[in-house]
Amino acid sequence: MKADNLYHPDAARAFLADGARASWHDQAIWFVRQKRDTQARQLPEWEELRKLAEQIKAHTLSRLDEYLLQFEENARHNGVTVHFAADAAEHNRIVHQLLAARQVKKLVKSKSMLTEECGLNPYLEARGIEVIDTDLGERIVQLRHEAPSHIVMPAIHLKKEQISELFHEELGTEAGNNDPTYLTHAARANLRQHFLTADAGLTGVNFAVAETGGVVVCTNEGNADLGTALPRLHIASMGIEKIIPKLEHLGVFTRLLARSAIGSPVTTYTSHFHRARPGGEMHIVIVDNGRSDILGNPDFYASLRCIRCGACMNTCPVYRRSSGHSYSYVIPGPIGSTLGPSRDIKKHGSMAFACTTCGSCSNVCPVRINLHEQLILQRKRVFDAGALKPAKKMGLLAMRFLTRHPALLDGAGKAMRKVVPILPEVIKDSTAWSRPGRELPEMPEHSFKELYRRSQENKQ
Amino acid sequence: MSTSRDAILAKIRRHRPAGPALPDIHTVPFLTFDDKFAAFAGLIRNLGGEAIWLAEDQTVAEAVAQRWPQRGRVVDLTLLQHEEAFTPHDWHDVDVAIVPGELAVAENAAVWVSHPDNTFRSLYFLTDKLVMVVPKERLVDTMRDAYGQIAIREHGFGAFISGSSRTADIEQSLVMGAHGAMAALVIFC
Repeated sequence: MKADNLYHPDAARAFLADGARASWHDQAIWFVRQKRDTQARQLPEWEELRKLAEQIKAHTLSRLDEYLLQFEENARHNGVTVHFAADAAEHNRIVHQLLAARQVKKLVKSKSMLTEECGLNPYLEARGIEVIDTDLGERIVQLRHEAPSHIVMPAIHLKKEQISELFHEELGTEAGNNDPTYLTHAARANLRQHFLTADAGLTGVNFAVAETGGVVVCTNEGNADLGTALPRLHIASMGIEKIIPKLEHLGVFTRLLARSAIGSPVTTYTSHFHRARPGGEMHIVIVDNGRSDILGNPDFYASLRCIRCGACMNTCPVYRRSSGHSYSYVIPGPIGSTLGPSRDIKKHGSMAFACTTCGSCSNVCPVRINLHEQLILQRKRVFDAGALKPAKKMGLLAMRFLTRHPALLDGAGKAMRKVVPILPEVIKDSTAWSRPGRELPEMPEHSFKELYRRSQENKQ
Repeated sequence: MSTSRDAILAKIRRHRPAGPALPDIHTVPFLTFDDKFAAFAGLIRNLGGEAIWLAEDQTVAEAVAQRWPQRGRVVDLTLLQHEEAFTPHDWHDVDVAIVPGELAVAENAAVWVSHPDNTFRSLYFLTDKLVMVVPKERLVDTMRDAYGQIAIREHGFGAFISGSSRTADIEQSLVMGAHGAMAALVIFC
């Protein structure tokens, strides 16, 4: 659903052109980060919890094949059918075959970033199946024919006026009624009819428990529950990394997930699915789609610990000021900026540079992924793969040359400090650095090196 | 066996990194509450719900009637004799569902609901108002304690439910009643 040639700096510039809107986006998301902080501070054991979560996930990845086998065996024992899909195409084929064999005409879906990654909706729609996304935010972006801009708050890039207009056209709500309660309840009534008439329900998976062979899905809306309690067929799609060893480990992860994601103590519904409803059937599709490659990369495998809470994007100064639609990969923000380049360095390379390396993402991550360090390593891969734009590459090469020749660097610095202050505004405004609302920094009189040398001399 | 399955597992085996031993999650002290009910009741107020102690001389039905004097179809699974549904869709017009909750969690106002006598779990989510009845001695501090006490039952479904269904997908404005229950009442007795 995202354009194939999305380049973060260009897309971000377009987003920032509407300053008021960009500032609203920044503040709305920062508010969620603050709610997360409030929740985290209420638990004295917060940092210990993060360490436990990290260790459980790191341990699981080190024996992932064994836990997957255990999960499969226990799920089968519960009467659930387990499928394995090597890639997106196989996942879509399996899901379509399950639906087609049961003459399913309408599928209700709850939130699943994996099916976004696989492009499931267009695949099924092309084969005549009506697909209804039921999470309110996802339904909004589905009706707008666009991708979610955030993994937890899919429609956070939109203003209520836009949603009101969309619902007026699509659901027949009153023109100009922008009240979120009114709009939400209109969508509720509309989607309730879809739930009652759907032939199948598809959910994502937050956690898959090896010990019990069941999956856990967390929502605030209850859409995963309605979508699986009514139709005969429940399909759950999950990446191989969703496994946790034991039921008791949910006592760690459910304490972290909603607090990190939305600043709530827990989601409204934390639902444990181990069997189909009476008279129904349940299938689980376990998808690799490049994950086992990441597992083999010592620099990046820790990214597979991710529980998709979105805390890293809520805290990211670049994400908040550029929005999820500026990132080429389906998952935006810091975690997407390592997962995307791991998948396709040429296509998603620019994401690794959408980062100030401030490290805030790594500090809020509930499973302690070294996100900002991974982004720096991804930048190196972008360079090595020859995927940098010529201007950026020239700039970096010039910088490398300068830093390897200290005398030249000193000279260039000195020249800049003298020349820039006397340049006319017109020239300063057209540098690569300049943007609306941002100008070249004031030139200091002395370089750091000079200041340092002087302070050392003063000490002596 | 599918070939993808074996290929995926073989590749994972080849690629899997070294990792730590599984940690013991019980060695770290977790938050405890002096008054678990007060914590639970305080939290659920902000989550579209309400929690009450059942008075000595009151029945659950009376407490529900007091809370919602005007009500439509009521289904009460706490009674030995209760209505049955033949399809999960039969619950679509329920106004108040009264269901047993096995235990409640003070840190997040969640109640574990996994009733083996309820053929179709759709009741929990189709109803307009959800009443969960929990034995008062079964209030625990945290989710770790809760998972220590629940079991995955033969019928294969269980959920922690905390307050009412909600969403903030439109401009971060919190709205109660997204797809599931519009209101929740937890009765400790």
